[in-house]
Amino acid sequence: MNIRRMALAASLLAGLVAFGARAELSVPSLADKLPKVAKGTADHSKFKELQKTFKSGPEVTKVCLSCHTDAAQQVQHTKHWTWEVVDPATGKKLGKKNIINNYCTTPISNEKDCMACHAGYGWKDKTFDFTREENVDCLICHDSTGTYRKLPGDAGHPVYERKEFPAGSGKFVEAVDLAKVAQGVAMPSRANCGSCHFFGAGGDGTKHGDLDSSLKKPGKHLDVHMDAKGLNFSCVKCHKTVDHFVSGSRYEFAASRTGPPVARGKYDDEPASCQSCHGDKPHHENPLLMERLNVHTDKLACQTCHIPEYARDSIGTEKSWDWSTATKMGPDGKPMVVKDSAGRRAFDSKKGNFAWDSFLVPEYRWFNGKVEFKTVGEKIDPTKVVEINHFEGSASDPAARIWPFKIHRGKQAYDPELKNLLVVHTAGEDDTALWHNFDWPKAIGKGMETAGLPWSGKYDFVATEMSWPITHMVAPKGDAVRCAQCHKNEGRLAGIGGIWLPGRDRNGLVDTVGWVVVALTLLGTLIHGGIRVCVLCRKKKPEGMKQP
Amino acid sequence: MLKLITGIALGVILSLVAVWQMAGSLMFEERVSPYTVEETVARIQQNIQAAGNGWALFGLRYPTRPVEAEGVSVLPVMAIEACSPKYSGPILKDDKVRFLSLLMPCKISVYKKSDGKVYIGTMNAGLIGKLFGPMVGETMEHVVADQKKFLEFDATKPAPPLILPKAGGEGGAGGAAAGGC
Repeated sequence: MNIRRMALAASLLAGLVAFGARAELSVPSLADKLPKVAKGTADHSKFKELQKTFKSGPEVTKVCLSCHTDAAQQVQHTKHWTWEVVDPATGKKLGKKNIINNYCTTPISNEKDCMACHAGYGWKDKTFDFTREENVDCLICHDSTGTYRKLPGDAGHPVYERKEFPAGSGKFVEAVDLAKVAQGVAMPSRANCGSCHFFGAGGDGTKHGDLDSSLKKPGKHLDVHMDAKGLNFSCVKCHKTVDHFVSGSRYEFAASRTGPPVARGKYDDEPASCQSCHGDKPHHENPLLMERLNVHTDKLACQTCHIPEYARDSIGTEKSWDWSTATKMGPDGKPMVVKDSAGRRAFDSKKGNFAWDSFLVPEYRWFNGKVEFKTVGEKIDPTKVVEINHFEGSASDPAARIWPFKIHRGKQAYDPELKNLLVVHTAGEDDTALWHNFDWPKAIGKGMETAGLPWSGKYDFVATEMSWPITHMVAPKGDAVRCAQCHKNEGRLAGIGGIWLPGRDRNGLVDTVGWVVVALTLLGTLIHGGIRVCVLCRKKKPEGMKQP
Repeated sequence: MLKLITGIALGVILSLVAVWQMAGSLMFEERVSPYTVEETVARIQQNIQAAGNGWALFGLRYPTRPVEAEGVSVLPVMAIEACSPKYSGPILKDDKVRFLSLLMPCKISVYKKSDGKVYIGTMNAGLIGKLFGPMVGETMEHVVADQKKFLEFDATKPAPPLILPKAGGEGGAGGAAAGGC
């Protein structure tokens, strides 16, 4: 018997050892013997067409189009090229070309500077030809060398000659080696998209609040999806792009997608939403909590809980921009720049006052996906704070969810007689540019003339606010907003109306009934306990009585 | 008699519970700052440098950085370290209380909470001083007086720049070495 057991154990042991050895063995396959393959299917550095000296961006584009024949036309149909979006509901023309914001306000009359972020070459005024294919800038999105630079003042052209930037700073930007960039093209990375979207409104982190250069190589704490050592998502992983059309936009917003996740590859009309991958019932790990958490998705956007603060880094974001103090000079009568304690801009004679901060708690509002924007020339009511954009939605709207927002507040120029926001010619070296001549009337005159709009000749400043839905910088799930941060008096959702929020909202009758029930329960327990104590005492035998 | 002893025992227990509950808030103080984290730190740094009595900046710490490196999102905390050899010297010379070097350099913590407000956290040096004899008590009274000055902000003055740790140092903002801390 013992011999049999020993034999069985020995054979089992031998089997395990053999299995282990098999698992560790690495037998080279035929594929391993072949040369290592590149990530893409075409090594552009081997293309003869790209092995030459390029003098301009359009020259590179012509070569790109010799193979990618339809690429330029595809780009020309996107808002990255037209800077225009038509609201399908109202027919109103939106997009950067038409709306006015409360940062730099509008590109009109300032194209040479603003077009550093246009996916094209040469847009310096209204004569720009939107049909010329060689004007499409392929490299701004496909450069993988990190050396492609476009600077304000060059109408979207890259740096062709070494130049000092900013002027007088002593810092120089090298000329772009266009051949090297063209030979190194790749699918867009976070750095490509970020070269514009991280630097909106002229500075790192200025505009969005949830997008800045820290997302080039973020840690998990900053964004679980873009975590450079983890999932490492590029922007186009979520903003799924087909034929150069990039999905997901503040003009076409998926505020309340419902249903299960959609497999990548299947048609998905809102691929840039959280629910596209996670579905609308995403909580399933904790059986005690999942039902309760999933019920919240009917009223809350995912971002509301999972982005507890935005601008969660030392870069921070701009909270306000007050144009009314622009043109104020320093004590010596010359333009001055003042920075805050963190080295961010606090005042600039060219631009006015700024306020910056980081790790900001969002403001919360109902949002159903529809946004109204103020366009250039539109009437305003200067007696109120002017909403540059208005996010629609209410508690009774089934398509609305509570969303987190960055609200950028400011003061900007308006016409007190005609009651519209003014177009100001800010950038440039000409005599009418505000940043050159510090003369408001001249700058407004030129701006309104270029925009083709009337101006009464008067100007003043009006308070404005612009809302930005927060959707990037998703924190690890363990760092989501806690229940008690909203379910309390003066919590995060203190300003949200239309819903009953336990912990925040009270009803006198319900509270009274509840407390009466509690009191009666306590009384019942005391009476019951008291009776039992009495009964126990009575059962006690008199002292001295002996057991029989 | 039994009732009396029970009453005293109950009183002692309740007192201990009360002390236990309050100990934390007695040892540390917290107040809201009207400025951002960076500006609060910069203004305190400026006040420390202007305080005299040998006070010098010893360092600026970022306790959240190792936490973030572990993939955890955490609100910002900046810890200012300051030292004055005038006050630390007598304590460090005395063998009986030299262990109080554990509390050196003095720290002032500036942090944000999830309510979005910026707070300043300080140690109650006065109370601690009273626990360790007359010399430490007297020294700490001076520290408390100076600490109050550190936290007096003049809103009419512009925001000063942050004094960042010098490269190559152990997180120190420099200057303190000259102060002998």
